[in-house]
Amino acid sequence: MSPTANMVVMASGDNVGIATRDIAAGTPARDVRGCERTAIEPIPQGHKIALADLAPGESVVRYGVPVGVATAAVGAGRLVHVHNVASRYLNNDEDHYE
Amino acid sequence: MYGYERAGGRIGIRDYVVVAYLVECAHHVARRIADPFAERGAQLVGFPGCYPSEYAHRILEAMCTHPNVGAVLLVSLGCEEFKRGALREAVRASGRPVETLVIQACGGTAATIERGREWVESRLAERRPPARPIGLADLVVGTKCGGSDGLSGVTINPAVGHAFDLLVDAGATAMFEETCELIGCEEHMAARAVDPGLAAEVHGAVRKARRYYQDLGHGSFGGGNIKYGLSTLEEKSLGAYAKSGTRPISGLLKPGVRPTRPGLYLMDTVNDGEVRYGIPNVNDTQTVTEMVASGCHLILFTTGAGSVVGQAVAPVIKGVSSTRVFERMAGDMDVNAGTIADGVETIEEVGERILAEIVEVASGRPTRSEALGHQEFVLGYKTYEPLGPACLPT
Repeated sequence: MSPTANMVVMASGDNVGIATRDIAAGTPARDVRGCERTAIEPIPQGHKIALADLAPGESVVRYGVPVGVATAAVGAGRLVHVHNVASRYLNNDEDHYE
Repeated sequence: MYGYERAGGRIGIRDYVVVAYLVECAHHVARRIADPFAERGAQLVGFPGCYPSEYAHRILEAMCTHPNVGAVLLVSLGCEEFKRGALREAVRASGRPVETLVIQACGGTAATIERGREWVESRLAERRPPARPIGLADLVVGTKCGGSDGLSGVTINPAVGHAFDLLVDAGATAMFEETCELIGCEEHMAARAVDPGLAAEVHGAVRKARRYYQDLGHGSFGGGNIKYGLSTLEEKSLGAYAKSGTRPISGLLKPGVRPTRPGLYLMDTVNDGEVRYGIPNVNDTQTVTEMVASGCHLILFTTGAGSVVGQAVAPVIKGVSSTRVFERMAGDMDVNAGTIADGVETIEEVGERILAEIVEVASGRPTRSEALGHQEFVLGYKTYEPLGPACLPT
């Protein structure tokens, strides 16, 4: 166990980790099992960091389940969020039903 | 662990005396009857409606014959439509002491309260310690989330999921619900179904939830979610879904229907048919009540912002997603999963702690909400069609 962990990877095979604290650009994101990536840009708490390079159209996998589709190439260490991910159901912040 | 063996072989982990009002007009009298005994295991439940409801009758009967309940006092005004004779017969047939007090026949408020208190006092005096050795395989455990935050799906919900895996592996029965919050998880859930017929029913339940919520006009994903790092509706659903763990799904339940064998079950809590009565679940408490009606002995309730609720018939273990809220509301919270975000514990380690907590609570130790006297109970009007034949594979 590492008290310096600042990221959780929910399941093996996930291609994103979740920041448990704000992670500054250029600093390492680490989980308790020793998985480590350098954040290319700031990753706020609760947000996702790419653990591998994602191609456009590739599934974003969290807890072993696809949670969206990459809409652009996303390099490892980048922030994964609404600017580069779309829902398979209802699109992000605009088209969800109200 | 020791439990209470009921007629018919069901096992309870508490020996509550339930006071049930059969219409809102009898609520005050029932509350006054139960009040002096609140610390000793008298629990208040009831149905406010006067117009009869098959659903409400089923749920109230399930509460009064729940294995955590040892005796039942029914409090009727007298002119309501509730079929109090049928309920009384069902409780009697379950082997429990039961009494009906009709306020209009007893001579009004004061006389009914006096007779009711005498009856409850006698039943409490007859209680004996639990004597039947029980194990995890005897338990039915439900899970629910309320007041979730950005860490709920990262810490406490997956930790509960791990505890669910441990429970199912030990031969216990576990259930999760909120099909409306599982939109986007249906493919993954259906793949976990034990057979194709059940997989189709799971798909159908999520389709129904999606249509129902679209008709109601409820939004399910928006600005607050995005602010905390969730990018899609399905990612949000996944946070709630994580509570279910990873084991196969053995069946689809509706409120009041009990699992037929051990394993993991999904409960469909969304009304059948068109939108009626406005809101399918007025709050977390009604959904928890529905899981208890389907036999749950205790509930794992996960929260981020800090919900404080309990339940009248099943102890509620509350798990919180962050150390910050745990420290602020330590008197209400049983499990802190914020240690996962703090980097000092894994999801699996917190899951094992939750299982240890379940064993202690099933052994009789009160949860925080029980000790604080929480007895939340809500029952409103709903309608359900019978379960489809593929919902409970044999």
